[in-house]
Amino acid sequence: MSKNVITIIKKELRRFFTDRRMLVSLLLPGIIIFVLYSFMGNMTERMIGVEDDYIYQVVVINEPTELASFHQTAAFDIEVRYEASITDADLLLLEEKDIDLIIFYETDFYQKVLNYDINDGLAPKVELYYNSTKNESSNIYGFYNMAINNFEMTLANRLDINRDANIEYDLATEDDTSIQFITSLLPFLLLTFLFSGAMSVAAESIAGEKERGTFATLLITPTKKSEIALGKIIALSIITLVSAASSFTGLMLSLPKLMGGNVSMAMYGFGTYALLFIVIISTVLIYVVILSIISAYAKSIKEASSLAVPLMLVNMLVGISSMLGMANESLYMYFIPIYNSVQSITGILSLEIDMINLTITILINLLVVGLGVLGLTKMFNSEKIMFNK
Amino acid sequence: MRVLLEVKDLVKTFHLSKKQQKIEKTNIKKKIAVNGLSFVANEGEIYGLLGPNGAGKTTTLRMLAGLIKPDQGDAIIDSVSVIKDPDLVHSKIGFLTSELKLEDYFTPNYLYDYFSELHHIDKATALSRKEEMFKKFGIDEFREVKVAELSTGMKQKVSLVISIVHNPNIIIFDEPTNGLDIITAKTVTDFLMDLKQAGKTIILSTHIFSLVEKLCDRVGIIINGKMVYEGDVKENPSESLEQLFFRLYESEASHE
Repeated sequence: MSKNVITIIKKELRRFFTDRRMLVSLLLPGIIIFVLYSFMGNMTERMIGVEDDYIYQVVVINEPTELASFHQTAAFDIEVRYEASITDADLLLLEEKDIDLIIFYETDFYQKVLNYDINDGLAPKVELYYNSTKNESSNIYGFYNMAINNFEMTLANRLDINRDANIEYDLATEDDTSIQFITSLLPFLLLTFLFSGAMSVAAESIAGEKERGTFATLLITPTKKSEIALGKIIALSIITLVSAASSFTGLMLSLPKLMGGNVSMAMYGFGTYALLFIVIISTVLIYVVILSIISAYAKSIKEASSLAVPLMLVNMLVGISSMLGMANESLYMYFIPIYNSVQSITGILSLEIDMINLTITILINLLVVGLGVLGLTKMFNSEKIMFNK
Repeated sequence: MRVLLEVKDLVKTFHLSKKQQKIEKTNIKKKIAVNGLSFVANEGEIYGLLGPNGAGKTTTLRMLAGLIKPDQGDAIIDSVSVIKDPDLVHSKIGFLTSELKLEDYFTPNYLYDYFSELHHIDKATALSRKEEMFKKFGIDEFREVKVAELSTGMKQKVSLVISIVHNPNIIIFDEPTNGLDIITAKTVTDFLMDLKQAGKTIILSTHIFSLVEKLCDRVGIIINGKMVYEGDVKENPSESLEQLFFRLYESEASHE
């Protein structure tokens, strides 16, 4: 690499990494993502969660002795209070969330159930009073509802589905569940992080310098326009990667909170990360090149940003194509830049890597970058573009 | 005397946008900014381009500096064609104009080093030159102050120093004293004399008669993109430069 390219890279990096305000704008998204997602995770946990050592308060009326075993089958602690009838006081307690459930069996419930015939009219009744605004009450309602339903089903037992409690009938491994989750989410978020990172730095470094008249100062040095283009693109790609890495770290750190600790990354080895990194770099280069061209065309940072918005939307649409969680298998599709990146990333994360598709992706992306650098060089050479006031 | 800069028949036309047409109250889509301009500058002299605003001075200088390309003609600078090798021309000239700005975020010290590197000046030479220039222009105590925080005059001085980091033999100044207070302006004009003493060739554009009379060896008067007069500044003792200019200007206006 020529000395000028390195000089320009060093200057760009210094511009972005020594300026506290720039640094904040680069790293802030990651911090915001972490705080926001952790907060969302905490909130959902609080909304549906119940403390492990919670003791459920249940009032039971007319309990048949045969059904008393329900209380023992629960995996949590239940404190049962037996009463002769439903009182307004207990209903008020339930309303005020001081107890969790009232179970009312009609008298001689068990016998009536055994003797019941469909032609007898109304079936024996059991009433479950609960308070749906209290998680604990909803939980215990669900538990007894199921227990009583199961009891009803055992009365007319003809067949059993998945009877053995010791057998894991769902054969999805924990890795598979994680992979499914990660492949449906990560490519989209990655693309969005990379694009928005590239958008702000390219606009600042190219449209901004043009707007402030500092680009012209660079143009009258003996530096070749191709060296300027290359230096800018390499430096901006590094900065974009750092900014995306910050967002990505924020996301990964908040994932366990967001998903309730069910996500594992253990299935990914060094190879996966290395391949992922290569695809990401080729994608970042494309973004930076495209956004640099837009920024070179624009008269100001503002114009560059608004010109980039439609592209941002297209990029998000392409990113959404990964939500299917499966990589496209048609070879031709890998000739479409960006789309091929999404599909390759999805493939890599699903641990179903197709080397031919991956190679095509990287070659196509680098080809686009090469053409883009040539285009950008041409633009830097054009007085109409560089001095359009 | 060696001809160091030769301008041959330069033509530059601009397309007027709808908005510009409205401002200039015309339907003409093209404006000829520079119309067949030719002149030469000899080694070691200060050549002044004198003309009113909009005469084509800045456009001419920008073509000499290779920032914009002429539609016709060429400029040969130290035997290099601006059209064929603008990057090589950039290493031979220093160009100072108010359009070229320095990045607000950086300090004069950093920017000096940065541009020295882009000009491939070896470190030792760059350092000794930097110390000399910073001292001469009083930039020393502001060397670590961001450009954004410098006064207009100090900014101009830093721009001046940085435009010649590579110690070029040909220096092109576009309105070098515009917008400067009288003290800074004097520092700049004194420096131009120093450069001349050091054997540099200087092209400067201005609309200030006294500046031309004080500094320049020869002058070219540009009106409406055409060179209407070229000669020694002190050629005709009976007519002042100002009188000469207005005589030419009026005769040019009556031709139209």
